[in-house]
Amino acid sequence: MSTVAESSRPITSRFDPRFEVTLYRYVGVEGAHTLDAYRAHGGYAAATKALTERTPAQVIDEVKASGLRGRGGAGFPTGLKWSFMPPPDGGQRFIVCNADESEPGSFKDRYLLEDDPHQVIEGMLIAGYAIQATLGVLYVRGEYYRAYERLQAAIDEARAAGVLGTGVLGTGVDFDLILHRGAGAYICGEETALMNSFEGLRANPRLKPPFPAQAGVYGRPTTINNVESFASVVHIIDKGAAWYAAMGTDDSKGTKLYQVSGPVHRPGVYELPMGASFRELIYDLAGGPTEPAKAFIPGGSSTPMLPWTDANLDLPMDYASMAKAGTMLGTGGVIVIPESKCIVDAMYNLVRFYAHESCGKCTPCREGVSTWLPKMFQKLLAGLGTCEDLSLMEEMVRHLRGTAFCPLADACAMPVAASFQHFRSEYEHLVDTGTPLHPRTSRWVA
Amino acid sequence: MVDLPTLQPFFADKLELLAEILGRYPEYGRRSALMPLLWEVQRAERHVSEARIEEIAEIIGVTATEAKGVMSFYSTYHEQPVGRYHLQVCRTLSCALAGGDELYAHVCERTGLVNGETDAEGRFSIQNVECLGSCGTAPVLQVNDAFYERVTRSGVDALLEAMRRDELPPPTRERGGDNASAAKAERQTTPADPTDAGGAA
Ligand SMILES: Cc1cc2nc3c(=O)[nH]c(=O)nc-3n(C[C@H](O)[C@H](O)[C@H](O)COP(=O)(O)O)c2cc1C
Ligand code: SF4
Ligand code: FES
Repeated sequence: MSTVAESSRPITSRFDPRFEVTLYRYVGVEGAHTLDAYRAHGGYAAATKALTERTPAQVIDEVKASGLRGRGGAGFPTGLKWSFMPPPDGGQRFIVCNADESEPGSFKDRYLLEDDPHQVIEGMLIAGYAIQATLGVLYVRGEYYRAYERLQAAIDEARAAGVLGTGVLGTGVDFDLILHRGAGAYICGEETALMNSFEGLRANPRLKPPFPAQAGVYGRPTTINNVESFASVVHIIDKGAAWYAAMGTDDSKGTKLYQVSGPVHRPGVYELPMGASFRELIYDLAGGPTEPAKAFIPGGSSTPMLPWTDANLDLPMDYASMAKAGTMLGTGGVIVIPESKCIVDAMYNLVRFYAHESCGKCTPCREGVSTWLPKMFQKLLAGLGTCEDLSLMEEMVRHLRGTAFCPLADACAMPVAASFQHFRSEYEHLVDTGTPLHPRTSRWVA
Repeated sequence: MVDLPTLQPFFADKLELLAEILGRYPEYGRRSALMPLLWEVQRAERHVSEARIEEIAEIIGVTATEAKGVMSFYSTYHEQPVGRYHLQVCRTLSCALAGGDELYAHVCERTGLVNGETDAEGRFSIQNVECLGSCGTAPVLQVNDAFYERVTRSGVDALLEAMRRDELPPPTRERGGDNASAAKAERQTTPADPTDAGGAA
């Protein structure tokens, strides 16, 4: 089979009869982003149902019963988060959609925003009703310009059709959206940094508490969720919590969007029931590695890597199993690392990312992540590292854990620690010989 | 007194646009308009100059220093003009595994520029960027606002040639809407192909 044919294969598991695809049903379908197309396949029926047949509290209960956990990375139960909102006091409340997707290895939200923007808007409308917010903020990363244009067009269409505005969908409920474009900063994905960014401030994270439910956007009660979380809500209301909770595992319900990148035959986004194994994702759907692999990052660059063993490939992709394996499900962005890639070099690539993205607010991250870690990696890769340097690096990442102001420093430290845990021999080889165990090879095949 | 050259304020003849942008946000949240105003100026002028920062700061009622502090936080606002074709090469891990570093070196070599530079003509500029959310179609080159995905040597050369003639080819987008018909055709021809995204292990 030629690689060209393989690489042009569809991006989703939509064509596989074994899997029920909901979130990505219309991703990749020509014209699916318009309101007419969305309505033609039953779009906004779930919102109509929620707004006319349910109270806000009932919507929250339904989402709680579904077992949905946030898809932005941390996996916090969505219904529970919504229930933290204080009772309405007559002032403005906000629902915020985090469409900043910038975690290396993650690209699931982008296609949803581009090809099915109404699904996200409908989810926000339902969530806004549930938490009794009449305004939503959709914060989309600056680089997603096509998504931004599609969202703007979708919002305009929705307003014109009475899906957004005063008395939406013929009900007495008011709801409108503000679309806001970021400008290239990973930290804006952190929820409180996003709020500062939206308010026209530097995007430094805020001290918590107060949590967004108490004081979020403009200091008003706010709930923030990921793009995929909102899309999931549409189907939970449409088909019911029981339908949703029947998919997945004990602690991880429903389907999830997984992504595969790195040297595999069919990189892409695949929607699977939670608890499917890495093997199913990487081999069955993504076609397996194109060259021998030695490790994979399970859920975006912030999640500690796992060695390429049968036991790890058979791990179910759910929150509990990942925690037990000492890593995290994160965004579900799997990056396959081939045998031929120097682990130290791969890790330096990610450290450079975090160093660039550190906001500079707190000392451990500014000094550790932004300054010293990249310097140590540079020294190692230049062939000038010593054994003491390795111990110092291990100690540094230990000290970074839990000492910084926001989770970004941990997100850098944990993967580095895992690379030492599993591949210390590659670091040692560099120190002993001054050259990487796997010297750099050309990877640009075409 | 010397006559200073005066610069026409950017928004002076765009009052409707200005009102639309300010109107997106609640009255008490006027400051939120800072980023969209910076975007407007940058799209038109390929950078945001001191004078424009001062103008924007005045519109939203903050000091120029504050506005500049915010602007400098983000990597896609530029204080110096970038080229008409701003080439942004992703070199984060998934792209690096598909040749992002070599793509970067290749683009540097063909344009004679390195990260942060703009050529004398103002045609090309280069910026190293971090993960663009297109890791499944690596390596990725972003030109202005458009993504060129899974770029090959011949592809990037053709792209650069086209831009030298001032023609920006439409972005290549392998996934999603554009290849839906191909995917559909494929499904019809291979309805039960067990190796198509679903073969048993
Ligand atoms: C550094 C950092 C970056 C983050 N980036 C994102 C992001 O791009 N998208 C996202 O949805 N959540 C991101 N998060 C998580 C958010 O802070 C937040 O937990 C999430 O949006 C909540 O949505 P959920 O409950 O639906 O998952 C990030 C967190 C941190 C610490
Ligand atoms: S940990 Fe890093 S990103 Fe987070 S607040 Fe501190 S400096 Fe900023
Ligand atoms: S690593 Fe280049 S787009 Fe994600």
